[in-house]
Amino acid sequence: MSSLATSGRTAERTASSRPTRSRPQPGPAPSRQARDNLTGWGFAAPFLAFFLVFLVWPILYGLFMSLTGKSLTGANDNLIGLANYAEALADADMWRSLGNTLYFTVISTVPLVIVALVMAALLNVGLPAQWLWRLSYFAPYLLASTVVSLFFTWMYNPQLGLINDSLAKIGLPKVAWLNDPNVAMWAIVIATLWWTVGFNFLLYLAAMQNIPHQHYEAASLDGAGAWRQFFSITLPQLAPTTVMIVLLQILASLKIFDQVYQMTAGGPSGSTRPVVQYIFETGFTGYRLGYSAAVSYIFFGLIVIVSVMQFLITRRRSA
Amino acid sequence: MKQIDFFAGKQVTRRQLLAGSAAFGSVFAAAGLTGCGGPASAAGVRDIAFWHLLSGGDGIKMQAMISKANEGNPGFTVHPTVLAWGPPYYTKLAMASAGGRPPELAIMHASRVPGYAPGGLIDPWDMSLLAEHGVTPQSFAPRIWDKSQQNGQVFSIALDSHPFVMFYNTEVAGKAGVLAPDGHLQAASSPQEFLSMAREMQKVTQAHGLSFGYLGSGSQMWRLFYTLYKQHGVDMELTQGQPMKADRDAAIESLEFMASLFDDTVAAKSGDISTGIAEFARGGSGMLFSGVWELPTLKKAGLPVDAATIPTLYGTPAAYADSHSFVLPRQLNADDEKRRDVYKFVSDVLKGSLSWAEAGHIPAYQPIVQSQAYRELTPQIHYANAADIINYDPESWFSGSGSDWQTYFAENVQNVLLGRDKAADGWDAFVHRTNTLLSRPNPV
Repeated sequence: MSSLATSGRTAERTASSRPTRSRPQPGPAPSRQARDNLTGWGFAAPFLAFFLVFLVWPILYGLFMSLTGKSLTGANDNLIGLANYAEALADADMWRSLGNTLYFTVISTVPLVIVALVMAALLNVGLPAQWLWRLSYFAPYLLASTVVSLFFTWMYNPQLGLINDSLAKIGLPKVAWLNDPNVAMWAIVIATLWWTVGFNFLLYLAAMQNIPHQHYEAASLDGAGAWRQFFSITLPQLAPTTVMIVLLQILASLKIFDQVYQMTAGGPSGSTRPVVQYIFETGFTGYRLGYSAAVSYIFFGLIVIVSVMQFLITRRRSA
Repeated sequence: MKQIDFFAGKQVTRRQLLAGSAAFGSVFAAAGLTGCGGPASAAGVRDIAFWHLLSGGDGIKMQAMISKANEGNPGFTVHPTVLAWGPPYYTKLAMASAGGRPPELAIMHASRVPGYAPGGLIDPWDMSLLAEHGVTPQSFAPRIWDKSQQNGQVFSIALDSHPFVMFYNTEVAGKAGVLAPDGHLQAASSPQEFLSMAREMQKVTQAHGLSFGYLGSGSQMWRLFYTLYKQHGVDMELTQGQPMKADRDAAIESLEFMASLFDDTVAAKSGDISTGIAEFARGGSGMLFSGVWELPTLKKAGLPVDAATIPTLYGTPAAYADSHSFVLPRQLNADDEKRRDVYKFVSDVLKGSLSWAEAGHIPAYQPIVQSQAYRELTPQIHYANAADIINYDPESWFSGSGSDWQTYFAENVQNVLLGRDKAADGWDAFVHRTNTLLSRPNPV
């Protein structure tokens, strides 16, 4: 905390010192600064334009839309106050889809963090042909979601799929992967795990390779074994990385849409429909843009709550 | 062509690449500026934009009909845009119409028109203009004509009706001894008769008697369900602000019968649409419940295939169907001349719809249906009577082919068909879901 405060003060000082210096010569200096500023804005302008047009404006317009009865067909655009929000909060299907999104977030984040850690730890032991392992663990991450969905839809096919075929060969019962409401979400988690674990793996591996080697040397001199070293050196040293990975993973999982839409379209029996798909359905195929905007803002509120909670937890831990 | 020569050189420097991509970009920009109405056209030839959702064999037939109409009409050229069936198509069409710059002409399922017409997304047809080309209300079968109207105005001109029917393998049926003396499949008039016929066929194929894939497809489950439901002689009504009106007993009986089919003898316990078609096409079953549009696929498979409407198991002959219909999306600035071209185009396509019948559909235009050429088309002529017993989806803004409502049907009913839920529970849950939709504000 103290170092932060000092650097803040330094910045303040440098900022305030500039006008003092330019005061004796009021002529060319300010105009030069103005020109510098202008150049700065000029460089920032393309980004700012996109930022305003494609982010700020849609966010504000969406908020306004959520207060109207706006329909895709252009019917009844009038303001209706908070009626959309009241309806959404009493909408069992919205809660169900929100629940599905949260369920997916929980059951996908845990393996996506742990499996990534295990993979990185295994690789860090010093296997030969490191680049090959790195490549093969990371490669699926480069595929488009459509490609991954197609792969897994085929493999999960109840009659002809690779997975059921293999299960049958070793004498296990067949599973209706994407057609059983109790299994479908897990099937999507497995596909997602295969697809995106490489990214977390790479972050973990980079962090592990940054742990100073002396720590391990000292520990082994003190007689600590491999497990002891892993739990007492590697894991604590990885803590900041873990916090970051968990944060990124939760946000990524909350966005779940592509794989579900392509593999089950929200089925069977609505058991995998995430809230993003519900927003899409009510807004675009169900025409009710105002209502779907309201549901988006409820979802947005939820993300803000999750982020704030996470911020509080991590701040307490690092303090 | 310049760009292609450019990149054909083996060594491309960074500068060349930049120059090349700049040139490429400007070509696209130029195309964008001049090409709003599709390919550049000769002076005086009007460009008509036409959207449809027909792909596969249907798409090829439609393209041929468009080309033929274009050849016969030097005054205009129709440019089709093909979009993916279902929600992607209807979402885009609604948005384009709401924006006021939609195509001059589009195809819609007749069952989706109630979601478009009251909101002013499509314009009514002027029957006097169509009459100039010889197309009148009498040109259409009564049920199809009834469906083309909303509040007394004609909003859609049907090209066809495409019912859900039964295909059967005459060789399997012959060996199973279930063919009538006239060579057609014996008529089954009760669920028991149908099941025993299917079991006879199963003994021949050693696999299944019937193929019907449904997993994951609300449309497919709905097509068979609504056929059986309507065979009870009962109605279903959806009125905004009121609970759904439907005959619960008939619905449950229909669902229970459907579930009883999937016992791995009569039909495979689980399978999706393409699995079902594939099974029938390779002789793994004697019968297939399917839309008529699969006929070209089955013929290509070289099967001894015939067809009929789905047997009347509950007393009243009925078939689920929909129609591909022409609609006029509402233009902010409608061009009268182009509108006249559209009328001419539609009447030309209707009069040339014999080739559409080859794809399995029943033409809506009666002079074609009554022609000798159509009478010679088999097995199309064997289910042509379906036009008199077709039933469209109950009308509402959310029902119809490829709608979310059919998806909701699947969500509540698939487990019934898989034997996991009771028919009554599945049906009640679907009614509950529908009532939620009916209680919400109508966005149209």
